[in-house]
Amino acid sequence: MKIIEAGALQGIEGLVRCEEFDREALGERITEMTHTVYPHEQVYGPYCTIHAHIECPPEKVFAYMANPFCLIEWTYSVRELVATSRPDLYVGVDSGKTPIYCKTVSHPGALTVDYHCAWDQGDDLWMIYLNRIVPAETVLKRPGSVVIWTNCRHPYYAKNPFPALVKDPKREWVGDWWPLFYAGHSIELSNLKAILEHRHRHGLPMGPRVEEA
Amino acid sequence: MSKKTVSLMGVASYLPEKIVTNDFFAPGAGTRRGMFTAPTTRRHVDRDETGAEMIAKASTRLFAKLALDPIRDVDILFTNVAVPDQAFTGCGAEVAHRIGCRPRWIIDLHNTGCVAFIYMMDLARIIMQSTDARGALLCTVQNAAGRVFSDPEVRLKSQAPVPGDGCGVGYVAVSDVSPIQSLVHRCQPEFASDMSASADDGRRYWQSGTSPISIRFTDDRVASIIERGNRIVPEIIKEACTDADIRPRDIQLLVTNQPNPIFLRNWREALELPKEVHHDTFDMYGNLFGAGIPINLEHALAQGKLAGGGVLALGGFSHAGDYTAAAIIRWAAP
Repeated sequence: MKIIEAGALQGIEGLVRCEEFDREALGERITEMTHTVYPHEQVYGPYCTIHAHIECPPEKVFAYMANPFCLIEWTYSVRELVATSRPDLYVGVDSGKTPIYCKTVSHPGALTVDYHCAWDQGDDLWMIYLNRIVPAETVLKRPGSVVIWTNCRHPYYAKNPFPALVKDPKREWVGDWWPLFYAGHSIELSNLKAILEHRHRHGLPMGPRVEEA
Repeated sequence: MSKKTVSLMGVASYLPEKIVTNDFFAPGAGTRRGMFTAPTTRRHVDRDETGAEMIAKASTRLFAKLALDPIRDVDILFTNVAVPDQAFTGCGAEVAHRIGCRPRWIIDLHNTGCVAFIYMMDLARIIMQSTDARGALLCTVQNAAGRVFSDPEVRLKSQAPVPGDGCGVGYVAVSDVSPIQSLVHRCQPEFASDMSASADDGRRYWQSGTSPISIRFTDDRVASIIERGNRIVPEIIKEACTDADIRPRDIQLLVTNQPNPIFLRNWREALELPKEVHHDTFDMYGNLFGAGIPINLEHALAQGKLAGGGVLALGGFSHAGDYTAAAIIRWAAP
């Protein structure tokens, strides 16, 4: 048995632990915090997390997502990925003609696949899509995978840090669409689910199915 | 033949004189938050104050306001009394005697608690649409605060400061003045046993004993009761809006039962209504159970709300969620 060292939490304000808050006091607090509805900005303002169950084993989902070229299949508009001179860094186009740089960082043990991206330049990859694949058997007692995708509202979403690199002055900044990211990301996650489930269900090669143009 | 249009013609209330402050309850009662947020004050009935007397006082005011003749205008009489005056029968007949009416139907309702007023409106409407009855008096009494929660032991419980007593009455008639545009109610039978009156010594309420009767909610269902309370009231109000062909944001005055400020906040938020549209008297009168809707409606109208007429919505749920009800009324300017 371990217990906390004397004074370990001393001076740390705002903790809610059973020693200071009995069940009744906790009940009051959590009841106040629980609303029927929550404004969109409150839920998807600083962070945007979405999730889906996919009828496909976690190792297959991981292998697919860890391949950078999968992005040209399941994203709405990332296309034409080609390797750059830097290892693991690819450049493609997004939303028509915008250069998008992507680096895929994956950890097979943790089943995480993170896409580090940026528009216009590849030196500061600040648009980071964090994905965790969880075996559904462990968390939902059913086959398949749960994919949890989080996007954090990096300050660059508010203002393009590299305006000099913009070739089309009429182009909208990616961050202006943040209020629509829940919907946009959900559509793309639904694409990912559909592709993986179709190929897995029919015993097809999982892909990504790409070829040289 | 088209159905007769039925209107809510008016409401009136009676509040017991005794004002009870938070020092009457357990120490710290006034600082509670969440489901057991204490109002600043509430009223308590005296030991000898009956539901029938309270109804008679409120009805006298209503008859005067609407210039009603009890003999001529009351064909139907409904009562709902939280803690009935007598064990074996409701007080409807005594009420009729006290106010001097001779209704053909007297119905002492003992269900639908906090939404009894809306349920009575529907039953009155059905009777009036299928007979030549023209007017119904709807009477709701909450007297559990004084009768149950003022007991020396019970008043120390955390829920004791929340209820408050009062009586609200309403008059519904065949008329197109303030028509009931939609009315929905529903029973969720699976929630029926989540609230009960019980004594700490385990005796039945009719058995003799020394431990007082109190009302309690099944402890392990509290989270579920909060969730359902948050959800089912906006749901049924939205349903009533759809039936009346309006959107929730068209509501100009919302009056609900008032279990606690958290539910009030959550219902208002879910319907996207500003605070001033949702009128309550919680901080003054506490949880008025079934009397809350007519009392709050009279209070709102007295403050000039809906002075120019408009869309009035009534809604709420009873007990631990066993009944929900809502109605949309096109309220006429006086």
